[in-house]
This record gives sequence, structure tokens and C-alpha cells, in this order.
Amino acid sequence: MDLAIYDLKLHKGRFIATIIGVGLLFTIVLAMNGLYRGNIYEGLAVIKATNPDLWVVERYRGGPFNEQSTMSEYYHYSVKAVPGVEQASPFIYYTVERQIGDQSRHFSIIGYDVFSGMGGPQKIVAGRGLQHAHYEMVADQKLGARLGNRVLLGLHTYTVVGLTRGAIDTNGDPLVYLTLPDAQEIAYQKDNEEVRTQRARLARTLNGQKSLSPVVASNLSAALAPDTHIINAILVRLKPGVDRATVAGNIRQWLYFSVFTTEEEIQLMLKGRLAGMTKQLLLFRTLLMIVSVVIISLVIYTFTMEKIRSIAVMKLIGAPNQVIIRLVMEQSMLLTISAFLFALILINQTYPYFPKTILLVPGDEAITFIVVFFGGILASILGLLQALKTQPALALGGQ
Amino acid sequence: MEVLRIEGLSKTFGSGRLEVRALEDINLLVAAGDLVALLGPSGSGKTTMLLCTSLILDPTQGKIAFNGQTIFQKNGWAGGVDIRRIRREKMGFIFQSHNLIPFLTARQNVLFPLSLVGLKGEVAQHRVMELLEYMEIADRADYLPALLSGGEQQRVAIARALANNPRLILADEPTASLDTMRGKKVMELLRKIAKENQSAVIVVTHDIRMIEGFDYVYQLKDGRLSQGH
Repeated sequence: MDLAIYDLKLHKGRFIATIIGVGLLFTIVLAMNGLYRGNIYEGLAVIKATNPDLWVVERYRGGPFNEQSTMSEYYHYSVKAVPGVEQASPFIYYTVERQIGDQSRHFSIIGYDVFSGMGGPQKIVAGRGLQHAHYEMVADQKLGARLGNRVLLGLHTYTVVGLTRGAIDTNGDPLVYLTLPDAQEIAYQKDNEEVRTQRARLARTLNGQKSLSPVVASNLSAALAPDTHIINAILVRLKPGVDRATVAGNIRQWLYFSVFTTEEEIQLMLKGRLAGMTKQLLLFRTLLMIVSVVIISLVIYTFTMEKIRSIAVMKLIGAPNQVIIRLVMEQSMLLTISAFLFALILINQTYPYFPKTILLVPGDEAITFIVVFFGGILASILGLLQALKTQPALALGGQ
Repeated sequence: MEVLRIEGLSKTFGSGRLEVRALEDINLLVAAGDLVALLGPSGSGKTTMLLCTSLILDPTQGKIAFNGQTIFQKNGWAGGVDIRRIRREKMGFIFQSHNLIPFLTARQNVLFPLSLVGLKGEVAQHRVMELLEYMEIADRADYLPALLSGGEQQRVAIARALANNPRLILADEPTASLDTMRGKKVMELLRKIAKENQSAVIVVTHDIRMIEGFDYVYQLKDGRLSQGH
């Protein structure tokens, strides 16, 4: 005789409300799991998508994603000259916020050498790749732009010629691919007023130098104009069969750069930028699990206390402890399993609408289920102890 | 045939200056088919007597034998005796406030003690309907207790107490929450059960109007038992 089911049938409204309440908590736990995975996925997506044999960045820097790295574009010629290097390609990456259509959008720009193709989009789902040296862009669908849209970036307007899917930066924002000169111009080109102000400031400084004639100062002023040929990294493709560590060592030793493999770049991100958020999410998940177990415990305790007189009657008429244990545990299990199923359905239906990437991994869901299942058993112990402690005399109005 | 024998039973709560002697030197013999009333005012020890007889409360002294088997002697329960099993298989309980399990229908309430002794399926269902018909409440079999009147609930409670054909039925103020007419009907029913089923029935009550036709009436006063008439 399934007492737990009969009891729940009578109180189905309250039981359903409790399932929804606890289920929403579990949904947040699953969302946190997804957010944790999504955080790592987003943080590493651009590294994995770019995936060169080596990343060459400014010395002592862990760039270009974990830390800012700045170097002259022309160093890629030096890197290319290192034995074993087949291709060395300049790469620039930065984050901007611009008006796209009627919305202000946050996104990252990658500038790459279109001719080598390294660092460019992995897969174009609509339109084509960059074919002209200027004023074309390939954007991720997440940006909200359509093929043929014209987007003002810096001093020029760029036409969307291709769309990608799943090309996101380390924050989960869409990526926009431009040719290297365009990306550099948007990053470093000043508007006319700022150029005039800088020139005037430089001229004042040079004119103040008594050792310089006005003609020399004027010539120097043009030569000392800020350089916009700046990049953040050089992507390296090695010749087949070449030892990666040897080439990396040579670049470090001869050119005074920092060199990382893609795996090392990933580790830099995991131990650097992503570490704090990952720990935070883990802490939230743990706290939420504890809160869920405490809530289930209180619910089961309340359910049990409401039945305490019935339990006393059952004991008086000779019900063995297994009957009482089954009643309490079955309700706890039903509540836990139903709430988890509710959460699983809800998160699977809603995760695409979260602003950040929610990456649902079946393994995580299985582990969460095991934890909440045993948490549910643990949670019901309080109610169970109370039930087992109940004296049958209570049914007779005794002690 | 002897069902319950109590000899020299005492129950003391507390010790020293706080000692309360709830029961003192109780002797009682109940045979199959006997209808016994235990009368007494509040605080006389009726509930303590019922708890000891139900094998719930340990007596301080004395002997309890059930069906000829000694269950309690001197100051301990006899070894190898499963008290819950005795209650489950040999005893039936009727309460003042009916104490039906609120989330079970009348049918399920009666079925519950049968399920405890492993009786299932059609045999169990047949027994349930037989009892509900005997109690003239079969038409309410699928009602929850909350939808039954006090008298109907008490009839279901009696049906539940009878489910396993108990040797001893213990009734705690079974008419207290009923009006006089319904109370008398319940008492009549208990009399009928005692005679037809050959069960020993002990009724604890403080209402002297309800004990008409009882075989034995005992008076409990200050923890001491004396025969009423």
C-alpha cells in the first residue's frame, strides 16, 4: 500500500507548488553548471578557433587574450625568418561598443592577414569571406547584422559580406573579422581634431628644443607621428615535422618574445582570467545545493510533522518501521526527482534565452542528479528521525 | 478462553518526591467474548492502564499475559516477543477521535492493517467490503475521512479495528465525540462484535450511560481497580 502516493494525491496542489519551488532552485543550479561550462567555452572559443601552432606575443606578457600584448606589425617578418616557421601572420584583437542598427552592441574585432588566412573566421554560414583590402567585414550572427548591412566603425562604413555562427570572444560577445589595416585603423586612427591637437603638442615640444632648427623640427614632427601598425600577436604555422618546442625556444631566445602553444594559451586563460569566475560559480553552485537540501529537509520535516498523529496511529496498530521509513523517504525521493525533472525540462527549454552561453553537459546533469538525490535522502533524515521517534501513545492522547 | 491476564500491575512515573503512582496492583482477567468497561474520572489512570494493556508503556511491576503467553513479567518484556506484531495481528484499536488516516479513503483505512499482515488483492478487498457492509458504511467506502460524519468515521474506525480478527479490542472513549444516540449505537456494535466474533473488548470510558449490557464494569480510582457491579 503506497501511503506516500495517497498522501500526495490529497495534497497535490501543495506538492506541485513545492516541486515548482524546489525545481526552480534546481534550475538555477543547472543554469550555474551551464554558466560555468559556458564561461570556459566562451573564454577559450576564440583561442581554439584560431588554433595556430604557436602564439608569439610581447615579451613577459601572457597575451593577447589573458593580458594586453602590443608589438610592431613588422616583427612578423622576423618571426617568419626563424627556421621551421612556414607562416607568420599578424593578429589584432580588441573589444568595442558600437551602434548596430538601433542597438548599442558590445563585440570584439579581429584583424588578420587576409592573404595568409590565419586568425580568420572558421566557417562562414552565409555570404563570403573578406576579399577586398578594405571596408568589408564578416560578423557573427549574434551581432544582429545581416548580409549587406553597412556598419559605421571609426571613420569608415563597412559592409557585412559574410556571417559566422558561434564565433564569440572571451566574454561571449560576437566577433567581427576585418582586414588587418582596417582593424588597425579603427583601433588607432584618431579623428581630425585629435590629430591636429597631437601635432600641435608635438610641434610645441620640438620647437622648444633649441638645438633643432624650425625646418628640422617640422620634418621630425611628421616622422614622429604615432604609429598605427601595431598588433597584439603573431600567429605561427610550423613546417611539417618541425619540433614545436625548438622553434618556440629559438623565437624566445633570438627575438625576445614570449611564445605559447595553443594549449599553453588555454592554460593561461584557465588559470588567469577564467579562474576567478570559475571559482565564484563553483561557490554559487555549492551554496545553491546546500540551500536546496535545507529546503527539501524543511519541506519533508513539515510534511512529516503534519502526519505525526497518523504515524502514531500506524505504529499503534503495529506498522513496522519500514512502513514509516518508506512513507517519509518516498515522499522525499518523489519531491527531489520531480523537482529535478522539472528543472531539467525548464533549463533545456530556456537556456538559449540566457544572455551568456549556457552549455548543458549531460555528465554535469547526471552528477547534479546524483548529488540532489543523495541530498534528498540526507534532507529527509530530520523528518525520518522525528517519525521514528513518534510514540504510538500519541494516538491515544498519551505521552 | 483467557485472552488477557494482568496480575499485580503497577506503574510509577518519576521518583522521590516527584513520584506519581499512576497504577497500583491492578489485577484483571478478560476472556474471549467478554465486554469489559473501565470507568473512571480524569486522572484516574485510565490512559496509563490502556497504554500498558496496549503493550506501549512498560509497567513498573507486575505480569501481563496475552493468549496464555507471558508478555511482561516483573520489570521487563519477555524475550523473543514481537510486541508490534502482537498489536498488528491480535489487537484492534478504537480511538476517541477516530484517528483515521486522513489521506486514505474509508476503504484504504480498513485495508491498511490487512496490508500490514500481508493480505493483498481481491481477498483483502473482499474482507474490507465485508467489514464496511457489517458496519453499514459500504456506500461511503471511497470517501476520505474529512467527508464523513463523526458517527461514520467511528464506524470506519471500528471496521479497521476488526480487520485482522483481533483477539482483543481496546477502545479509548469511543463515544466521546458522538451524541448519545450515536454513542449508544457504537456501544451496541461493540457488544455485537464481542459476542459474534468472540473478541474480548475493553472499553475505557467516563460515561456511565454507555455501559448498559456490559459483562464486567471496573472502576479505576487513583490508580486502583475495583469491580463496579
